[in-house]
Amino acid sequence: MSDTKGSPPQNLSRRSLLKAGLAAGAVAGSAGAAKAAGDPLITEVQDWNRYLGDGVQARPYGTPSEFESHVVRRDVEWLTASTESSVNFTPLHELDGIITPNGLCFERHHGGISEINPADHRLMINGLVDTPLVFTMEDLKRFPRENRVYFLECAANSGMEWRGSQLNGCQYTHGMVHCVMYTGVPLKLILEEAGIKTNAKWVMPEGADASAMTRSIPMEKALDDCLIAFKMNGEALRPEQGYPLRLVVPGWEGNMWVKWLRRIEVGDEPWHQREETSKYTDLLASGKARRFTWVMDAKSVITSPSPQAPVTHGKGPMVISGVAWSGNGRITRVDVSIDGGRNWKTARIDGPSLPKALHRFYLDIDWDGSDLLIQSRAMDENGYFQPTKNELRAARGENSIYHNNGIQTWYVKADGTVENVEVS
Amino acid sequence: MSKFLKALCLGTALAALPGLAIAGDAAKGEKVFKKCAACHAVGDGARNKVGPQLNEVFGRTAGTAEDYKYSKAMIQAGADGLVWNESTIAAYLAKPKDMIKGTKMAFAGLKKQEDLDNVIAYLASFSSASPAAQDQSSAEPAAAEQTQTADASAAAAPVSATRDGGVFGLGREATEDEIAAWDIDIRPDGTGLPVGSGTVADGEPIYSENCAVCHGDFGEGVGRWPVLAGGHDTLREDRPEKTIGSYWPYLSTVYDYVRRAMPYGNARSLSDDDVYALTAYLLYLNDVVTDEDFELSNENFTDIHLPNEENFIADNRADEEHYAQKGEPCMSDCKPNAVEITMRARILDVTPGSVDDDEAAGVGGVD
Ligand code: HEC
Ligand code: HEC
Repeated sequence: MSDTKGSPPQNLSRRSLLKAGLAAGAVAGSAGAAKAAGDPLITEVQDWNRYLGDGVQARPYGTPSEFESHVVRRDVEWLTASTESSVNFTPLHELDGIITPNGLCFERHHGGISEINPADHRLMINGLVDTPLVFTMEDLKRFPRENRVYFLECAANSGMEWRGSQLNGCQYTHGMVHCVMYTGVPLKLILEEAGIKTNAKWVMPEGADASAMTRSIPMEKALDDCLIAFKMNGEALRPEQGYPLRLVVPGWEGNMWVKWLRRIEVGDEPWHQREETSKYTDLLASGKARRFTWVMDAKSVITSPSPQAPVTHGKGPMVISGVAWSGNGRITRVDVSIDGGRNWKTARIDGPSLPKALHRFYLDIDWDGSDLLIQSRAMDENGYFQPTKNELRAARGENSIYHNNGIQTWYVKADGTVENVEVS
Repeated sequence: MSKFLKALCLGTALAALPGLAIAGDAAKGEKVFKKCAACHAVGDGARNKVGPQLNEVFGRTAGTAEDYKYSKAMIQAGADGLVWNESTIAAYLAKPKDMIKGTKMAFAGLKKQEDLDNVIAYLASFSSASPAAQDQSSAEPAAAEQTQTADASAAAAPVSATRDGGVFGLGREATEDEIAAWDIDIRPDGTGLPVGSGTVADGEPIYSENCAVCHGDFGEGVGRWPVLAGGHDTLREDRPEKTIGSYWPYLSTVYDYVRRAMPYGNARSLSDDDVYALTAYLLYLNDVVTDEDFELSNENFTDIHLPNEENFIADNRADEEHYAQKGEPCMSDCKPNAVEITMRARILDVTPGSVDDDEAAGVGGVD
């Protein structure tokens, strides 16, 4: 790292600034001092301006700048008994736009990451088909393929917030979502290749991992928009995302997007596998439980400011930014409130607006430096808009774990720090 | 670099280290170690998990890793002079319960000599002591085995086939044996059940050997490992306990899941009869059957119904009130009074390690 002498804390992460007890005023102060003396970053020749940097091939597979080393997936250790059956979270507060970089897509495994040589991978189609088939990866790459951008959200995203605000950071409260462009073959083509029998109503994808993950999917969805994907954001799937092959089930809960996909069985009834009975069923206050709650309803969260992304400037221009998504199609509108949901302003959606993909929104405000209670409320193309958390609790109780798409509130304090709260 | 060359390079590097003249291939051993990783950690910062951490295990007296609670049998073995070296570890890993009767390592054992050699080579790379026993030089020249590193599967280049029929004529027909090997799923109506049987009494020893270390002797769950039994009548309570007996709708799911995914870290290692016996035993732990002689088989399987079967309903989210409020949401003066904070995040700092386990335990899981 280069010597930055008396310059502003250029190479201190936001995190360490926070730890040092930074208040909005401190930044304003140092900027002022620089003004008087002349900013040495400008008045003095910097190392990077004089000496040559690394040449090509110093980084044959590029990685982010060392100054971004804090931008990583993180887990909550006490959540699970073993890291092989666990989850970590996308650092949403550090990202912008709508595409999640591959290395930051959250992970959820049930038996660790399988490392599979694509030459050793097979995909089998069996059950109610005319001809049960086996494909190699090479075979699959000879089918016509498509490119589609989709979000993937774990049904348990925000699951820890059902009983009230728990975790300080949108990475933890909302970070079980990511959005990438997949390249793959429509599942329909693969099924048609084997020939589906007339009584075929369901398919069951199965993973090759140590949990042999399985879920039942109705045939209608399988023939609609599911993909068998081998690329994400242009490059091969990452091992932790199911390399060499995963299922893409647009708009539906992430658990169904079976990774390390090795088999698809066709049947006339659902299988009622462990992940659709013991798990991924939504227990209601009545003691009844909903099953096959596949669609991820419209949802949004403000990613900045948020507890891990405090306001580091004083009053004046401020960008409120966040993401919104719906498993039922496009987001048509996001409203933002700065007074805890009394009054709302429609935010600006910027960037591509694709069905079942993340949408990026911004509200540019002139902050007067007072406390804010910021919220966002997404609306999708069907006119459905996000409920409050209390509306959800009134309908379902507090034991559902899954499908918590309630409106999130962040409390922005005058000193710029931000806290996860609930409001009246 | 080809797999073969890589293996050779690694082999040379290892051989160059003092005292490490062993038959195995550490790189391959790393793969074998996946079978152990559910329970053991090794390497930088390794901590005790279900089993003790395995850094510096060579030369260590059995049962002496710091802060780990061993079985009485393992502590006794250490007191009797058992020290871990290449041959004692090999014997233990081949048949844990044969070597140390009463060990709580719920691991069936490594059957292939190659796997044993390789995992020992891998573990040795985290120990400074020589893997060989101090008093014998058992380092066999195993040149013959090393040449096996030229992996047969690497020779089978990825292939693509075409066939007659289909739309594109891609892929090939699956054989009956192939389908039988992978299609092991079972439906509530019994479709897919293999022929076989097992009793509650048969299941008890299989369970205590393979499952109890994580799920507890009575299915109560050790630490944060899943609870498998109990929780009756808790579904409407503050902290419902969802178990096979209190929550699961179908018995077929138990058989299917245990057969495909358990024991954790050693999946597909149980026989069909073992799984019938375990399923019967789990019914017993959940008070669905009470007779230890009860035998579960493919014949009587669908006669058994779990208590909570009727309490599952279809997705009716659309009937909820807030779904009806479609259209134009309120934009101004939506709440009568100034908004107050009613609750603040309970866990202020989620930085790993900063949260007290016990305090956090009640918070709820990811799923
Ligand atoms: C299901 C969990 C589990 C699996 C899988 C497992 N172990 Fe263990 N292992 C244990 C437990 C628990 C102990 C402690 C045994 C006791 O106290 O009796 C143990 C003990 C050991 C010891 C003795 C350590 C000491 O300090 O005394 C070694 C060596 C060992 N295991 C190696 C392995 C290796 C290598 C594998 C994989 C091939 C493996 N284990 C797989 C749970 C497991
Ligand atoms: C090393 C620890 C370990 C051992 C040994 C083990 N399990 Fe598990 N078991 C787990 C974990 C972890 C899960 C959850 C996996 C996941 O997240 O998908 C689990 C899940 C289960 C479940 C589903 C629980 C639920 O509520 O959904 C059943 C049933 C089960 N195990 C039965 C068994 C049986 C029977 C055995 C013995 C043959 C066994 N397990 C051995 C760790 C273990």
